[in-house]
Order: sequence, then C-alpha cells, then structure tokens
Amino acid sequence: MVDTCFWIRMIEFFPHSLMRRSLLTMEFLQIPVAVLRYSKLKIKTVYTVNLESRYLLIQGVPALGVMKELVEQFALYGAIEEYNALDEYPAEQFTEVYLIKFQKLQSARIAKRKLDERSFFGSLLHVCYAPEFETVQETREKLQDRRKYIAKATSNRVHFVVKKIQEPKKTVSKNSEHDFQPETLGFSAAGANTGNWDPSACCPYPYQPSCEFSSRNTACPSGGHFQRVLAFPQYVSNCAETSESFCQSKPLTQSAQQGGYTNTPVSLVLQRKVSSDNGIGRFMPRTTQLQERKRKRDQGNQIDFIGIDSDSTGVIIGPRLPEIPKVDMDDDSLNTSASLIRNKLTEVAVSVPKSSGEKPEDTQTKPPIKQRRRI
Amino acid sequence: MSQKQRDLLELGRLEYLQALVTEFQVTESPEAKEQVLANLANFAYDPKNYEYLRQLQVLDLFLDMLTEDNEILVEFAIGGLCNLCLDKTNKDYILEADGVAPVINCLSSSNEETVMSAVTTLMYLTTPQSRQQTTAFAVVECMLRFSLSANRRLSNLARVFLEDYCSPVQVEEARNLSKHTAVGIPLPKD
Repeated sequence: MVDTCFWIRMIEFFPHSLMRRSLLTMEFLQIPVAVLRYSKLKIKTVYTVNLESRYLLIQGVPALGVMKELVEQFALYGAIEEYNALDEYPAEQFTEVYLIKFQKLQSARIAKRKLDERSFFGSLLHVCYAPEFETVQETREKLQDRRKYIAKATSNRVHFVVKKIQEPKKTVSKNSEHDFQPETLGFSAAGANTGNWDPSACCPYPYQPSCEFSSRNTACPSGGHFQRVLAFPQYVSNCAETSESFCQSKPLTQSAQQGGYTNTPVSLVLQRKVSSDNGIGRFMPRTTQLQERKRKRDQGNQIDFIGIDSDSTGVIIGPRLPEIPKVDMDDDSLNTSASLIRNKLTEVAVSVPKSSGEKPEDTQTKPPIKQRRRI
Repeated sequence: MSQKQRDLLELGRLEYLQALVTEFQVTESPEAKEQVLANLANFAYDPKNYEYLRQLQVLDLFLDMLTEDNEILVEFAIGGLCNLCLDKTNKDYILEADGVAPVINCLSSSNEETVMSAVTTLMYLTTPQSRQQTTAFAVVECMLRFSLSANRRLSNLARVFLEDYCSPVQVEEARNLSKHTAVGIPLPKD
C-alpha cells in the first residue's frame, strides 16, 4: 500500500518548508528513514530554544491596510502583548512586514504553526520566530521557561533536598505566581520550584527563584500586576486605535468601550499611555513619524470625544469625524506651511465675508497635506 | 519490499529512532549522515524521547560528533545536546562523559548557530560541581566578546550568561585581562 515511492512523491509534492515544519515540530510524520536519502527534503536547522520566541515576524502581508484583520487573526491563538508594522524591514513589492509579540511562547508556537503559509487577502503569509527582537530579559525568561518545562516534563522525583532548602523562597514564588499568573498552569508550582533548583543552587549571586515575575515587574515600569490586568484591554484599545487610524470605524471603539473596563476618560487615557509607550518605542528602530503623528492626533480626538460623551450621558455616536483639531504637525517646516495656509485662508475669508462661516474648514486644508505625505 | 516498508511505518517511536541511529551508522553518504543527525537532534527537543535516546546512546553520538570536521554535523550535534541537556539524567551523563570541554570548543566555531547552542548548553550544564569548568576564565572572556556582538541573539545570550552564571568578580577579572591583551579587537588592515 504505502511504499517508498509514495513518500518521495509526498515530499516532492508538498512545499519544502511545510514538510520541514512538520518534521521540526515533531508532528510525527513518520517518513521511512530510507526516504530521507532519496528525497530532496533537507533539514537545514535543528530546532532549539534559541530559535523560538514570543516574537513572530509576519512577512507577505498585502499592503491593503489590513493590520486590524491580521492582528485579529493572530489574536485567535493567544493574547498579544504588542504589535507593529516594520516599515523599514525589507519586503517584497506591495507587501508589508509585521511584528507581533505574544504574551506566551506557546501561543506564538501555535499561531506560527497555524498561520504560516496561510493565504491572507490573496497573499501567502510567511511567519517565523524573531528572537532577534528580544530584550536580554526576555531571552532570560525564555531560557528559564524551557528549564521549567523540562523539569516538569521529565519527572517530579528529583530535587527533594533542594526543595527543602528553598522552602521560604518557594512560598514567595508560589504566591507571586498565583497573583500574577493565574492562568499559567503550564508550569505548576512544583514544576517552577524544581525548575529553579539548579541555577539558584549553583550561583551564589542574586538569582531570584521568582525570576520570571520579578523580572516582568522591572521590565515594565508600570508594574507587573498592573500590566497583567491591563493586558487584554490594552490590546483592545490598541486595536481600536489602529482601526481608527485606518478607517475611523466606530463599531470598534464601541466594543472597546464595552470591552470590560470603565467608561471614564481617565482610565482610557491611562491605558492609551501605556500602550503607546510600549508600542513604538521598542519596536521601531526608526519610528515612522507619520504613524506617530497620526496616532497622537487620534488620541486628541479620542479624548475630546470621550469628554463629550461623559458629559451628555447620551448614546455613543462614534469618534469625531476627521476634522483634526490639532495644529501641531510635529515638524517645524510643516507647521510653518500649515500656518501660512491658514493665514492665507483667513485673509481670503476676511476679504470675502460670505465665506466666514467656513472658518472651521481651514483645519480641513490639512488633510491634503497629510494625504500627500502619506503617499 | 513493500511489506518491509509497511512494517517500518508501523514501528513505534523507539524503533523509529533505532532505525535512524542504524541509518546513521550504516550510511556512507555524508549528506544522509547530516540529515539523520538533524532528525535525531530535532527529536531531542521533545522530552518524551529522552528515555529512548539514552537507550540508543544518542548522547554519545552527539558528543562524538562535536569533534568532527564537518561543521554541519557539529551544528546539529550541539543543537541536539542543547535540546536534551536540561534533563537531570542527561546532564549528569554529559558531565560524567567530560562533555563540557568539547562544548566549550564549539564557542570558537564560525557558525553562529553552533556558538549559540553552545552558550545555551553551557548555561544548562552549569551545576555547583561543574561551575568551575563551565565558567572557566576563557569562557567568561569569550562571553564578554559575544556580549558586544552585533548579533542581538548572541549578545543577549552572552549577557544572560555573564549576569546569571558568572560572579561579578569573574567578569571583572576577565574584562581587565582582555583590556591588556586586546583580545578580540581586530587589527587594522595596513
């Protein structure tokens, strides 16, 4: 029934990376050993902890302004911590490259497996791990996680002695684990302890057992617990933000409002701050000024909008239309030209009193500038 | 013939791995050797296979391959070791078989993946007993250089190594000495 020829045909039929992937991820495609010799399939790398990452690089995204859809697609596989377009990254024509950081490695793993080589708006996505975007701290956590995982997977029989020594610390780490990561059940408390056995025993230097959590605290200035709680809303608000910047869609803003946190402007502004700090600063080696500017402007809009909303207790209508009240263009020369145009317009308005009603429109002269710059 | 293949398909994990090891020993083609080794190293990622890999003495196989001339074989072998050396039994085995020295040798490889696997392996092999060896002076010095590497992955790993596995005194010593001897600073061309 199934013979060597079949396997060789199979291998040659499928795209290389797909086959390689199933081999690498040990999805147990049991190819007879002999076939390896005859086939064109080549394993180029050995999959190790160094290659994996919570960061995924997504290439081949069609440049259609589909960031929102892309992120939604990936969010199916786990909470996303941050995401970004990498405008400077070399990409094929008419495609964009995105970077998505998951909260957990396991989510990234599944997302990669499910979405690599998947068709997305008519283009084939190429998803790969991007450990080169990790910080030292994230690399450290990754290595620690692998340690914990192996400790848990191999056995619970070891390290009783050391456990005893670490008793006081253990309770601390256990507590923090329950405080901060109720859902990280992948590593049970026991696993975590045995996992930490080795380094802390061998290094007399500050090597915290609860490294993962304490480090998370230091990593984000707002504090681990805070961030933890905000994690999801942060994503939602990010999402809302981007959708605004793309199409000013109101349903998403609404969903963000309903998304489980309070309606007060303060909290939203706060979260906004958190997400904006996290987002661009880290990921974009050279920030795209346009996006930044646009975001700031939208932020301004959003605050205004909320102010109105909370005053008038009424129904949420949606964000203000792209009237753009903000004057600051973040750039001296742009500011100068903007004010020139504005002056010109006021001159015209004064000379023709009839059009004085259109005064607010002078803000609308900015969109053309903006549009031009965007191309 | 086809019966044989069918049997092969129905073999379990152990038999499959056994077949890989046999293939590795029997084959003459260097390319097939590489591919089989890569397969074994990938299987070593999954803790489920550890028991079988020990039975089949794949650990020895990996360790032997570290001293090969073929860089690809070395890369795959150290990758395999990196994958399985966290397990207590495997770690003890490697340490007893004097596996640290060949791993340290991998640090001077020109292949980045080899070097990174070696750094991680050294971290994972560090125990109170082996610490002396895994954080030897030359290693610390090496890590100092790596920590300045333009390769972010490598510099991250090296920094974790220096911060978590070496004492500040060790790092300081290595830093001072490398200052004097200017190790790792490329000489200007003419």
